[in-house]
Amino acid sequence: MTEHRVGTREEWLAARRELLETEREHMRQGDELARRRQELPWVAMEKEYVFDTDTGEKALADLFDGRSQLLVYHFMFGFGFRVDEQSPGCTGCSFVADHFDAAIPHLNGHDVTVVVESIAPLEELHPYKARMGWKFPWVSSLGSDFKYDFGAAFTEEQQRNGGEYNFRHVDRPPPQREGMSAFALQDRVVYHTYSTYDRGVEQLMGTYRMLDLAPLGRNEEGPASWWQRHDEYETAQEVAAG
Amino acid sequence: MTDHAITTQEEWQAARNELLAEEKEHTRRGDELARKRRELPWVPVEKDYAFETPGGTKSLAELFDGRSQLLVYHFMFGPTYTGGCPVCSSIADNLNVNVPHLKARDATLICSSRASSDKLEAYKQRMGWSFAWASTVGPDFHRDLGFLHSMEDLKPFLEGEMPPAVTQNADACGVDAATYVTEGPGLSAYIRSNGVVYKTYVSTARGLEPAMGYYGLLDRVPLGRQEAGEQVFWLRRHDEYETR
Repeated sequence: MTEHRVGTREEWLAARRELLETEREHMRQGDELARRRQELPWVAMEKEYVFDTDTGEKALADLFDGRSQLLVYHFMFGFGFRVDEQSPGCTGCSFVADHFDAAIPHLNGHDVTVVVESIAPLEELHPYKARMGWKFPWVSSLGSDFKYDFGAAFTEEQQRNGGEYNFRHVDRPPPQREGMSAFALQDRVVYHTYSTYDRGVEQLMGTYRMLDLAPLGRNEEGPASWWQRHDEYETAQEVAAG
Repeated sequence: MTDHAITTQEEWQAARNELLAEEKEHTRRGDELARKRRELPWVPVEKDYAFETPGGTKSLAELFDGRSQLLVYHFMFGPTYTGGCPVCSSIADNLNVNVPHLKARDATLICSSRASSDKLEAYKQRMGWSFAWASTVGPDFHRDLGFLHSMEDLKPFLEGEMPPAVTQNADACGVDAATYVTEGPGLSAYIRSNGVVYKTYVSTARGLEPAMGYYGLLDRVPLGRQEAGEQVFWLRRHDEYETR
């Protein structure tokens, strides 16, 4: 027998209905937060950034690719979490990025472009992207202040003397952290509208949202992070064969 | 110029900080909800449900594929549909990428539908998905969970004004609106412990938004979901958007 509380269908239904009320309240709060995000004032971008892309050098306005809204994921490449020479893309960012290709056709159809950005040359991004089977546009911000200005990379001086991550002072920030920034393009002016960091990027990770509905939840009590790159799990072979 | 309020970096920062505090509170409440879900009592599944799969007829216990947890997305694909529901297809796009990571957490994620296994497999190939897709044998599995409706249940809905999205999606599935809404979308979760399968969680309607990854992103873009007052529903199958 299981040690978990077992109920009759009626008992389960009563508990489920009670929980549904709390879920609905949480959803309404989420809707309200989304509304508040859209009400944030916009900041006109005055600095020019140049990115190296598969189709040549581009300005931030070009990355919109004809749409009016742009989401840029700040992907930690070359240095970050569980990175080595064979696997230069951060493990956590790779987990996040696994979710993008599923959402992109739908977002592109709704006037939103999604781009991933890293401080690394394209020739280093390409083999890793091919290995992971990703299709999203991945641009190089190498040589630009972009990732630093949007709070996802820290200069050596900041690493020694402190910087700001997730809108808070951090005494000794690491070289890079994860994050995502949103922009609007209107009358050829680019506006910064929103950025999110740390657990803010969990909302992009459908896997966590599904685990939150599973009987054992995230099941993350252990000391080490359970997630790997999707081709590094012991079960990856059978998935590939799937 | 834009009509939206424009500000300085400092003023934006102040507004963003205020919002961040509320976002953190929302995340904490979400953690608390997840904890409450895990505390729900479990109900033993006593009925023997059967499913057709490319690997033969299987029981619910066999669909766990050796893991302890099973998540089933009830995908609207009725026996006479010519294709899967476009909204369920957009959900399946997202679920498909979760599969390898969920396996590592001892959870198997599958879809189930009432269409024949051959029909499901052909559509799965078109959409490029790799998750397992079970075809229900008999109506009970979906009906017992509230995801298969009778004409009598549907009468009030069918007599009311039909939302444009329903007509549009029914057309995309090659069936009339009544046949389309006979199937309902849903998610159910199970655990297997000492050979017994327990139902732990069921959700539907907006409770499925956790599986709609594009909404998480749209809730963070400047213009949001842009669905209010929409006459033509924007979601399509991923290979049916007009590229622009």
